[in-house]
Amino acid sequence: MQVMHEGITVVLKAEQIGSVFGFPITNSLIMAWLIMALIIIGAYLFSRRLTLVPGKVQAGIEWAFTGALGYMADTLGSEALARRFFPLVATIFIFIAAINEAEFFPGVGSLGLMGASGFEPLLRAPTTDLNFTLALAAIAFFTIEVTGMATLGFFKYAGKYVSVKSPVDFAVGLIEFMSNLGRLISFSFRLFGNVFAGEVLVLVTSFFLPYVLPAPLMGFEMFIGLIQALVFSMLTLFFIKLAIMDPHEAH
Amino acid sequence: MQQLFSAFGVSWSLLIAQAVNFGIVLVALWYFLYKPVLAMLAKRQELVAQGVKEAEEINQLFARADDEAERRLKAADAEAEKLVANARTVAGSERTRLMKETEDRAASVMRDAEARAAEARAQALRESERDIARLAVLAAAKVMREPA
Repeated sequence: MQVMHEGITVVLKAEQIGSVFGFPITNSLIMAWLIMALIIIGAYLFSRRLTLVPGKVQAGIEWAFTGALGYMADTLGSEALARRFFPLVATIFIFIAAINEAEFFPGVGSLGLMGASGFEPLLRAPTTDLNFTLALAAIAFFTIEVTGMATLGFFKYAGKYVSVKSPVDFAVGLIEFMSNLGRLISFSFRLFGNVFAGEVLVLVTSFFLPYVLPAPLMGFEMFIGLIQALVFSMLTLFFIKLAIMDPHEAH
Repeated sequence: MQQLFSAFGVSWSLLIAQAVNFGIVLVALWYFLYKPVLAMLAKRQELVAQGVKEAEEINQLFARADDEAERRLKAADAEAEKLVANARTVAGSERTRLMKETEDRAASVMRDAEARAAEARAQALRESERDIARLAVLAAAKVMREPA
């Protein structure tokens, strides 16, 4: 689906560049692999240089880890729970942040091939592809629900949503259930919408005021990208907290 | 719904591919970042705890050594005081002994001198009695010899 308007092309979905064994390869998938490679290689090189007396980079990362773990322990109310969910929350943040920061690097969105439907960029930030944000939202959603069931027990957890004690309780449970399902949509569209809108904004301003306006806006959008990464991971953390709370303590 | 998904290009295969991507990053970061960094943090914490413990032990050792030194100093002080006091009493008794001895000797010298003086007086008395007797004899002889 393309919207053409005086040369500005906004493509809502990631374009398919090719396919391997009938499996579609989109430009957002290629960029996801690129970012993954960067993250994993960076982490591997970093882990090999870990020393007991830390350098500046190591000290910074350790500071971030300690701070994040402390905050999570405060929120979840337990050091063990914080340690259990730290990898998930941290990975969500690191992956999204890395993608969002790489989004405006030269070549992303500008290098491409001329395909059947016109210009097709080779790289597209996965956070501007609903497949990626929905997949992340689903992972967060399942983690939250499974954690709730595992912590409270299936029936107690289900009792949060299905209650026949009174009509009011039943309605509240139903609303809660719908709002939980709604998280899938709010999680995925929040991230997608924010980053995609930023990209479109930069694209549009480069037509209105090229050379001047796009650069500061790119800086701002990189900041937004960090904030969105933080929002996604923090919301995951808070919903985990809500899920493990006893239903009677919660009210 | 189907239209919405197709407009955003959502498909099961791509969804699963991106979920797998996230899973790979999660596992890789777990092994290359979280585990080693947290292990390093734990190791350092343990080391610091050990260091603090050792420092405490050393401090305790120092305190004990200080106490010991003070105790020994006090003991030495007490010993010295006792010694001095002892010496003083010994010196005092020695002096009284000496003084008494001196007094005794002086007394004995005095007694001796008195005895000798008495002896001399007695002898002088005896001698003078003899002289007087002789003088009396001489005077009597003289009287008899003179012509009456």
